[in-house]
Amino acid sequence: MSHMDSSLSDEDLDEGQSEVKRIRYDSKIYNVSRRFEKHQRPRRTRLASRDSHSFHVKESNLQGLIFDNGAHTIKINYSFEEEPKIIPNCIMKAKSERKRLFIGSQIDECRDCSGLFYLIPSERGYITKWDVQKPIWDFVLSKNVCPVNNYPVIMTQPLFNFKSIQDCIDEIFFEEYEVSSMFRLNPTDLAVLQYHKEIGAKPPCIIVDSGYSFTHVIPYLEGKKYLKGVRRINVGGKLLTNHLKDIISYRQYHVMEETFVINQVKEDTCYVSQDFKSDLKAAELPPSKNHIIRNYVLPDFNNIRRGYIQDRDQKDEIAENCQILRLNNERFTVPEILFHPSDIGIKSIGIAEAVCKSIFSCPLSFQKDLAKNIVCIGGSTKFDGFRDRLFNEVRSMIPASWEVNVYQPSDPITYNWMGGKVLLKDPEFKSKLVTKQEYEECGMSAIQEKFNQWSIIDIEETVQSKPKIEPVSYIDHLKKYDVFGKGIVSEESSENNEKKNENPEESRKCEEEIDVSSKNDGEEKLNLTDDDKFKLP
Amino acid sequence: MMKQFKSQLRGSNRLKEGDKRRVIDETQRRRRHRKIMELLESDNYQDDPHADLVMSKKVPKFEDNLEQRTTRTKKKERTAEYYQTKFRKNFQQLVDEDRIEADIAGRVSYVDVAAEESNLPPRHFCAVCGFFGHYSCVACGMRYCSIKCMETHMDTRCLKWTA
Ligand SMILES: [Zn+2]
Ligand SMILES: [Zn+2]
Repeated sequence: MSHMDSSLSDEDLDEGQSEVKRIRYDSKIYNVSRRFEKHQRPRRTRLASRDSHSFHVKESNLQGLIFDNGAHTIKINYSFEEEPKIIPNCIMKAKSERKRLFIGSQIDECRDCSGLFYLIPSERGYITKWDVQKPIWDFVLSKNVCPVNNYPVIMTQPLFNFKSIQDCIDEIFFEEYEVSSMFRLNPTDLAVLQYHKEIGAKPPCIIVDSGYSFTHVIPYLEGKKYLKGVRRINVGGKLLTNHLKDIISYRQYHVMEETFVINQVKEDTCYVSQDFKSDLKAAELPPSKNHIIRNYVLPDFNNIRRGYIQDRDQKDEIAENCQILRLNNERFTVPEILFHPSDIGIKSIGIAEAVCKSIFSCPLSFQKDLAKNIVCIGGSTKFDGFRDRLFNEVRSMIPASWEVNVYQPSDPITYNWMGGKVLLKDPEFKSKLVTKQEYEECGMSAIQEKFNQWSIIDIEETVQSKPKIEPVSYIDHLKKYDVFGKGIVSEESSENNEKKNENPEESRKCEEEIDVSSKNDGEEKLNLTDDDKFKLP
Repeated sequence: MMKQFKSQLRGSNRLKEGDKRRVIDETQRRRRHRKIMELLESDNYQDDPHADLVMSKKVPKFEDNLEQRTTRTKKKERTAEYYQTKFRKNFQQLVDEDRIEADIAGRVSYVDVAAEESNLPPRHFCAVCGFFGHYSCVACGMRYCSIKCMETHMDTRCLKWTA
């Protein structure tokens, strides 16, 4: 039908044209909703079905307060609740209201959000402004939001959270808030727990966490972080919004002061391109032929509280009196920075490259499984097309015979919080909690050890122990049965062992094994030629 | 073709004019880039709208609009400034301390996990319009795609950052 009709459009009949326009418009809606559907559908139905017959261990019914302290938003609630409350982790000042400050979600009470001034407690994701963070925590833990009420507190902190920051958190929580017990871990640790629960298995996985301050790629082997495989890219939502503000201010309106609004523009209009070059070409076309271009109606905080993309064909009435922002290549060149930080001169690999580098810096035996279990969390992974682009790029850099799987949870922002529920169900978890008493008796350093070491895998030992087991048992086996007689084969196999083992300590152990066997058999075997070996029974 | 040639001519005239301006050397270009990167990390580009209230001591306090928290012992409550004074450290200090600690403990540190440089060749974009930019400005090294964008660049940002 659409073919026939579009040929009609060449005729300059008014009616015919508007008809065609309507049809085109409908098909666009159709595409959008289909994409939406695809996005919502759980991608791992196959694995999800396994959920029922795993995790036989008796679950603990310990409840707690799960506190995901993100640099942009705090995700907090009790473990018995369905989902977390999402609270901005900042204090805001409005031009229009000079008698008060807006802490966290109090911003909902602010009538005019133009020109908001932000007090943000973190720098590059790490808390440095305690005079800002403390009042926000006071708010979050106040009677009407989420008082601690003696529940154990599970709190997230960024990777490598610096010691003096942890000291301060300890002092605030144990001494002032008087929490009875607490545990701190990285948000990605919780994501792994949630992922393992969802798929009903515990494979090694890579967590791609692209948030507000930075992007982390963290491999988890046997449920624990493998630090040698970690990559951090200093690109996150904050940088993308600021960059968008900068280019809009240069090309159209001065919006440098409108972080609140432009962040929404980013969320509403930006997407990750699947074919960057061709999208850039398409964006060069004049507006009538350009499928990239969008008009965005800016909020005036009078009639319109939140901006939106204007219908391409129905110019609505309100929009006539409003400021309209035109977005073209900005829509995809901004999120593109996640994949090519060098586009704005940041000397760093992009996300997909980081995922591959991370996989290949892990021990060989884990690599295939890692490629199969890539999980994206964090607000900056929510751009349309993010998952598909990451998949395609990683796919192209990984051996063709390996399976690649990129999983995006339906809500990549609350995913970590959900993992907190899983942690509380672990019967072992209760013993990991640090109590107020322990804090008072052992001091900060001792308890921080408990927080920071629990999820890191001890690299060398685990990796090297794998090849160790096989050769030793093989030699034992041969010695026991003397299958080929006189242990020559054992010498051969030990040669192979040495090649396999790169760890010097490891090969020394193997040499000791050889010594034992060669003592029994005498030295003449060493002089045997290949032919001689062949003649042996 | 002819037209293009003409405009190129016009462009080179423009460049001669530009020669009279200062040309920024490599060190200055790097400093300018660092400045841009810092700006991309900043929380605000405007001044505190309540700044004038500080002098008149009418600054709204955090406590003013906070419900009472359920602390059991009131005397343990401390002001936010107490923590800020006790634990004040800027980001660079924290990173440096972490590096020293990591060296002693033989662990991986914050700086160690920074992603490496890419092997892929960098792409260049017009600083004005955002499309591919194949030419670079003689004065500052920024990219542009056309004579039109070059002129805009010259008139606006070219030497803006070089103070
Ligand atoms: Zn241009
Ligand atoms: Zn220039």
